[in-house]
Amino acid sequence: MTSSNDPAHQPGGFGLQPNGRPRPLSPHLQVWRWHVTMLGSILHRVSGGALSVGALLVVGWLLALAFGPDAYGTFVSLAGSPLGLLVWFGLTLALTYHLASGIRHLIWDAGSGLEPRTASTLTTASIVAAVVVALAFWAFLFATGRVSL
Amino acid sequence: MSRVAKAYRNGVKVSERHGAGEWTAERLSSLIVVPLTLWGLWSAASLSGGGYDAALAWFSSWINSGLLILTLLVSVWHMNMGLKVIVDDYLHKPTTRTVVLGLIGLACLVLAAASVFFIVRLALGSAPLPAGFGA
Repeated sequence: MTSSNDPAHQPGGFGLQPNGRPRPLSPHLQVWRWHVTMLGSILHRVSGGALSVGALLVVGWLLALAFGPDAYGTFVSLAGSPLGLLVWFGLTLALTYHLASGIRHLIWDAGSGLEPRTASTLTTASIVAAVVVALAFWAFLFATGRVSL
Repeated sequence: MSRVAKAYRNGVKVSERHGAGEWTAERLSSLIVVPLTLWGLWSAASLSGGGYDAALAWFSSWINSGLLILTLLVSVWHMNMGLKVIVDDYLHKPTTRTVVLGLIGLACLVLAAASVFFIVRLALGSAPLPAGFGA
């Protein structure tokens, strides 16, 4: 085990501060033991990015609706195609995960659940909850005949 | 702002003192958007497969239209802050970052304005576009 402040053993290398002083950088992903909270954090960012695209599609839906029945028909045939449904399912999963994970972050921000074991449990729970809710949502859509392949 | 931005104490840059505001805005928008997301999922389920007329009927309720405007405005605000965090993490060149953040901000403004415009028209039962816009 090397001393953490030994300059020869800074796994992340060095960066310059705005005032020109060298400072050790945090080691990056490859030197950390894997934690589920890392996956949770990455998925939170990825799902947030995906939802930005989702926002464009929702406004696209509003646009099609405002342009009348013909435009709406075109939108629905695209959105209801197998590829379209796959995209909407992915966005549903992104939404349920970002929601569950966001609630987890709010719990942490309130100062609770920060012990490593609890934090990991919360993260696993948010992933499982997201998958379960997204699947249940689409099972409901198919079961009630709102959507079909 | 430029007065504090250039402040150094013992050779270390002093906080520009707006970080707490951004943090609070992120949490506030999250708290607002949590119940709205659940309502949005429920609305999406009730609208899907219903067709054009059912969608128009849904928008004719000002509760639905109002909540959807609120949902989209707060979501776009939240999205803008989230994308800013990503850009701040990965883009280090100040000019690139400023340009990308500017474009994202512009896109968010367009999304917000378009949402309100379309939803208000749908709620009022206006004739399909491009009525009165040159058609």
